[in-house]
Amino acid sequence: MRYEVLAHTADTGIVAHGDSLDELFANAAYGMFDLMFDLAEMTPDTLTLVRVAAPDVELLLVAWLSELLARFEIDGRVWCRFSLQLEAGWSVDGSAEGAPPGVLRGPPIKAVTLHGLRVWRDGDAWHARVIFDV
Amino acid sequence: MELRKLADDIWEIPKTGGMRVPGRVFASDALLVKAREDRALTQVQNVAHLPGIVEASFAMPDIHWGYGFPIGGVAATDVEAGGVVSPGGVGFDICCGVRLLRSRFDEADFEARRDRLMGELDARIPRGLGKGSIADRTLVRRVLRDGARAVLDAGYGWDSDLERCEERGTSPGALPEAISHRALQRGEGQLGSLGAGNHFLEVQIVDEVFDAEAASVFGLSAGMVTVMIHCGSRGLGHQTCTDQLAVMGAAMHRYGIEVPDRQLAAVPVRSPEGERYLGAMAASANFAWANRHVLAHEAREGFAAAFGIVPEQTGMQLVFDVAHNLAKLERHVVDGRERTLCVHRKGATRAFGPGHPELPEDLRTVGQPVIVPGSMGTASWVLAGVANNPAFMSAAHGAGRMMSRKKAKKQQSGAEVRRSLEARGISVRPGSVALLSEEAPYAYKDVDEVVEVAHRVGLARKVAKLRPIGVVKG
Repeated sequence: MRYEVLAHTADTGIVAHGDSLDELFANAAYGMFDLMFDLAEMTPDTLTLVRVAAPDVELLLVAWLSELLARFEIDGRVWCRFSLQLEAGWSVDGSAEGAPPGVLRGPPIKAVTLHGLRVWRDGDAWHARVIFDV
Repeated sequence: MELRKLADDIWEIPKTGGMRVPGRVFASDALLVKAREDRALTQVQNVAHLPGIVEASFAMPDIHWGYGFPIGGVAATDVEAGGVVSPGGVGFDICCGVRLLRSRFDEADFEARRDRLMGELDARIPRGLGKGSIADRTLVRRVLRDGARAVLDAGYGWDSDLERCEERGTSPGALPEAISHRALQRGEGQLGSLGAGNHFLEVQIVDEVFDAEAASVFGLSAGMVTVMIHCGSRGLGHQTCTDQLAVMGAAMHRYGIEVPDRQLAAVPVRSPEGERYLGAMAASANFAWANRHVLAHEAREGFAAAFGIVPEQTGMQLVFDVAHNLAKLERHVVDGRERTLCVHRKGATRAFGPGHPELPEDLRTVGQPVIVPGSMGTASWVLAGVANNPAFMSAAHGAGRMMSRKKAKKQQSGAEVRRSLEARGISVRPGSVALLSEEAPYAYKDVDEVVEVAHRVGLARKVAKLRPIGVVKG
């Protein structure tokens, strides 16, 4: 499972999963856009490069998701396929494939919050909890 | 969590751990039960950790779980005593707020043109993912500096609007240069747009008047059609908060500040980062004032077209425009001494009482209009500020959610919610039918109960109750 939806009274959140940090970041991005659109139905027509850096892995996840969210609004593309490499220190060198927006199935996400933010490892699996402002 | 009852509808969360002040919650027994169901009260405690906070970490009657601050949270910090500013006390939707217009129409006028009018509003109010109604992207840069004044000068709205807008539609100290390229890119195409989520334009009827003098000063009378607009600073504000949180998160350790939640990142007001945040926040607020100003213009145009008259004949004067997501430097008396405080209102409305020098002269006898929107399909309220408000001149901002979006969706489909609203005489023009269920009335607390508590504890007093008859939803 790429992600699960977290119940929050006013907003919405996800717990994302991955076998590596790279996969975790890709699945968190998938989850964020999948809350708004049915990504399984999308055929990408655009590729964009995304590079972000932050002081730690949790803030890097927020920076990565925030940059994709901004580019969604600016470029008018729903990002639905992700490829990336994380570098310790911390930075992401990645790309996203996007498609024209279809029908909204959830409210547009305004921002990625730092509230309750957590990235953790459990055995071989990585997990992240992120709450979005909607 | 321990809660001490101080008086009817007033509760204290005692100081524990790193709390610098106690928490104070204004809630009836019924509202308190709801507040205890999620993490809202823990967030009241977390806010009490902020350096420089004075008196208490306050929670309005509509408190619910937010991010960082609870929604319905008010906190004031003493600026000259190292008090901090926290973007988490303002939120991503900087200067989100509500604007209320009155009109010369009554319910019979509305019924005679219901479909035509709702069709006009449906076509004219940009919402959802759509772009704003202003195509001139260069105007945004002037808006960041001058707020509603910039769009008024460009031909939108009426001169009289500015007098009836908090800050007269222009937040002081705006630093347009503190707005990032990314934020500008997001905001350029969105001026004059509602957005989505809980944002709306509603056509309402003044159903009941509780304070005839104040209602008369506000220009409201029973049976009158009003228009309420709820929205904020769109992507420009969201990006500005995101940008500033990253800066503050890194800077606060240099000031030796630790907070229990990263979303509460804060720096002293009197620091380069603090001043830059307040400048960027003010510029974003200017976008929000201007955004609601443009949407009010579109509403007037829609009414004029539906009734076959010019906008000036609609009588759609502005009653007031209030923000409910802002931090402001204000003078308040604490422990017998007047001080400059940074008052954070996150999901809370400024509520100046009668005689306040910053109110327009004609409002000074009765106090500032406080607009409390209900949930879709329920009443909304107009209150007035009162003297001796116990929470730094702040009041509730809405009904307050009590049910998660996930749960609300399971209860009814969007189409069912629409049918039940239409059956009650409320025309609904949704941006997305599917999303209506997330904003269904049952997902919110009882706004009447919220208002009763605000009235009883002296946050504001009841003036008029408004009943919805048409909803344009983001």
